[in-house]
Amino acid sequence: MASSHSNTHTEAAKLEQIITEFFYKSLLIILESRSPYVSSRNYSGEQIMSSPSSSTSSSSGVRPRDKWFNLALRECPSALENFDLCRQSNFEPVVIDVILEQKPLDWDPVTFSPKSDLVKHSSSKDKNSFFWNSDQEESGCEAKGEKVIERWFVQHESRKGRDCSSGSRRSSSNNLSALYKKLILLLRSLYVTVRLLPAYKIFRDLNSSGQIRAFKLVPRVFSSVESFTQKDEAEMQRFWFTPVDTSCGRLCLSVLYRSSISDISSESSTPMSPQFIPDYVGSPLTDPLRRFPSLPVSQGSPSSLPFSRRHSWSFDRYKASPPSVSFSPSPTHSESHALVSNPSSRRAPPMSLPPHPPGASLPHKKNTNFDEYWPSPNFSASPSPSPSPSPSPSPPIRIPGVHLSKDLLRSESAPVNIPVRKLAGSPALSCKHNLPPSPPLKISRADISWTDNNMGPMKSGATIEKLYSFGKGDGQKYSGVNSPRISVFRSSSRSIQDDFDDSEFPCPFDVEYDDMDPGSRPESYDRRGNPSDPNEAGLFMNRKSQDAAVGALVRLLKKAPPLRQDIPSSINFSEASRPEMWNNNIQEQNQNKEAVTVERDASSIITSSRLVASMTTADALEELRSYKEMKNLLLSEGGKSCISANLTSGAKHSGKGT
Amino acid sequence: MNCEVCQLKELEVEHFEIREVLRCILHTIVFHRALGLVRPKDVDLELFEITYVQCGDVELEKKIDEKIDHFISWVEKHPNKKSQICLSFYEVKSKQPSWFTNKTERLYWEQWYINLNVTQHPKHHSSKSHHTKLVVDPGESATEERSSRRAMVEASLREVLFQIIKFVNEKKDHVPPISEGVIYFPYEITIPSSSDSAFGMDMIKRMLHSGHPTMLS
Repeated sequence: MASSHSNTHTEAAKLEQIITEFFYKSLLIILESRSPYVSSRNYSGEQIMSSPSSSTSSSSGVRPRDKWFNLALRECPSALENFDLCRQSNFEPVVIDVILEQKPLDWDPVTFSPKSDLVKHSSSKDKNSFFWNSDQEESGCEAKGEKVIERWFVQHESRKGRDCSSGSRRSSSNNLSALYKKLILLLRSLYVTVRLLPAYKIFRDLNSSGQIRAFKLVPRVFSSVESFTQKDEAEMQRFWFTPVDTSCGRLCLSVLYRSSISDISSESSTPMSPQFIPDYVGSPLTDPLRRFPSLPVSQGSPSSLPFSRRHSWSFDRYKASPPSVSFSPSPTHSESHALVSNPSSRRAPPMSLPPHPPGASLPHKKNTNFDEYWPSPNFSASPSPSPSPSPSPSPPIRIPGVHLSKDLLRSESAPVNIPVRKLAGSPALSCKHNLPPSPPLKISRADISWTDNNMGPMKSGATIEKLYSFGKGDGQKYSGVNSPRISVFRSSSRSIQDDFDDSEFPCPFDVEYDDMDPGSRPESYDRRGNPSDPNEAGLFMNRKSQDAAVGALVRLLKKAPPLRQDIPSSINFSEASRPEMWNNNIQEQNQNKEAVTVERDASSIITSSRLVASMTTADALEELRSYKEMKNLLLSEGGKSCISANLTSGAKHSGKGT
Repeated sequence: MNCEVCQLKELEVEHFEIREVLRCILHTIVFHRALGLVRPKDVDLELFEITYVQCGDVELEKKIDEKIDHFISWVEKHPNKKSQICLSFYEVKSKQPSWFTNKTERLYWEQWYINLNVTQHPKHHSSKSHHTKLVVDPGESATEERSSRRAMVEASLREVLFQIIKFVNEKKDHVPPISEGVIYFPYEITIPSSSDSAFGMDMIKRMLHSGHPTMLS
């Protein structure tokens, strides 16, 4: 009798323990799939073959508590904490609310805007009781909205009027085994169900890297809550798990969930998923070079340009320039896998907004980003910021070495063609002596050479060899001075490359010539004089030096023979071998024989090209006038001579005739 | 012991969707029948916004993939046909050897019938890659049609998964007790064989093995 009593007591204790652990396990399953960053997702380890009844944790990474119901899950601190709070000896029900919480306004003042009145209501009776209420006025939580998207109920309904400890020992034992098996099945189905409900999609999106949302999932555990309003409950669906009978009641598990969570989360989410914007303003698709604030259209007035991408050009680096709206993602996303437009082809988060959100605040946000950034057209490919000591208010803009080297290499190979192909076609590159030192390969080379022959103050003694010798003092100096310049350079190189791809894409620096008399262009190239107005030219050069240089490069490259097939091969070279690579490229390419010649005898040719290229609008106009005068003079003289010749011949004839 | 049978809702899938759909369904069922100590593994489908759960056993995963490969081969030989895959759980009972019977006997206590209707999209070029779908006329309407069709398949698949969950919840008594050291119950996946009649023969063979008078109840 005593033994049966003790056995009964043991069975009751076991039952209590089973029920307690069931509560904990169900809590763990729900919370670990609703608490971002604490999840057993991808927590698959090697198969555990240990016996469930073993009390030892000799198996790798299996804690004793894992073995309950044969379901090893990652520990969830919140589950433990909440379980300790809610655990009751008499198995009071546990309610878990999964709340979709919008982040406060000050977190993201530009993009966040609560769509409706959301309020967090805390009743005195039920602490931590929250529900959606759109009728109440905002109460100190204006920037924070919460909505219960799921409510889980885990409870043990006691069967009254029945002694739990009754029954024979054998039946109790069988009952416990059967109960345990059924609870295992129940928890298996719970584990699968939590992943099929709509809230899991939000959880998964929040957990995925690179996603910054304006909302978060907050599971909260209560012992009791106020019921939903009828309206709320009508919007929700209920799923019942089949209750499992125990000797003194039954264990019930159910969930109320909203089936249309995507609408809610899409309202509150921000368009901040990093995505490629292929048609950003400045890309080849949208004709970016045309819009560059290049040489002034008329008399050097940059404001006359219809669009400004000054942010990508360091010529105006001393002031923040308004960026384009449809540029690359915001700075917060620059480092978050922006290279990946979509983590998986299909896995575009359903709550993510398109890259061009309609919100009016977003362009403003983008402007801010641009001011901070020193982006370039190819920033969409490598949007990470680079360390920038430039005066512009920019965060550090990382210039990936690989990308930089690639771009530099790509552009460095291009300059080989510049003196050969683009001499005649170079636009009037204005600025000489105030070109930024880096990028050294193109701009500075042009800069130096032109200045040597045209302007006074300039880096003297610069030769092509020196310019090509990147990695030496000059290059290092250049690279260390101003990274924005490098980015500018990179953008120019990229835009030049894009020009290759878009044969119809005109050089932006043609703008000034387009506005001028087209007939003046050839003459301007032939001109080898100084600008008529050195001061004006100098000022103009100061402002447009980089643009001019880029324009020259663009034109040269445009008219250059297809060298770009060989460019990828050059990209693989390291920076240290760049000079050799350049030299090799020059020698290898038949099309660049002239470039080789120029390289060997660069000073004279380049000088002349630079001289030719150092035309300003004013110079060109003046030249045109002078030619016109000459033409008129010649015509007039020719006419006179013709007349005099006719007269003379006529006289002769008459003389002879006579 | 009764043999519980669950006929899952028919799914209309395309060729490239077969693998994912079958993996999802088969693993979900097996996970509910892997009552040994498991460390579950979440798997996100690529074609659909569904996450299913595996019990984490590598061998099991391999065997399921093999069966799926066989099934896909069969489907390629028998296109545009409705097919059925049977996942059966059984107990092995030792039997007295006799002239006509084997030593062991399989007692099927549960059978799941996965019904698939593999369709061939009219504009779809048969391709093993489920990521590339060549469309002859890529218009907006075709894209919309594809996405709506995909959504329908996803909804149907979700229904099937909930069907599994409900079945598992409602019927627990027939599940045998858990053996020591066993992760999942012995199972058998039956796919249609080369000839149509062979599928029926497989069923008859199973009946002979199990000794149950009726299997398709």
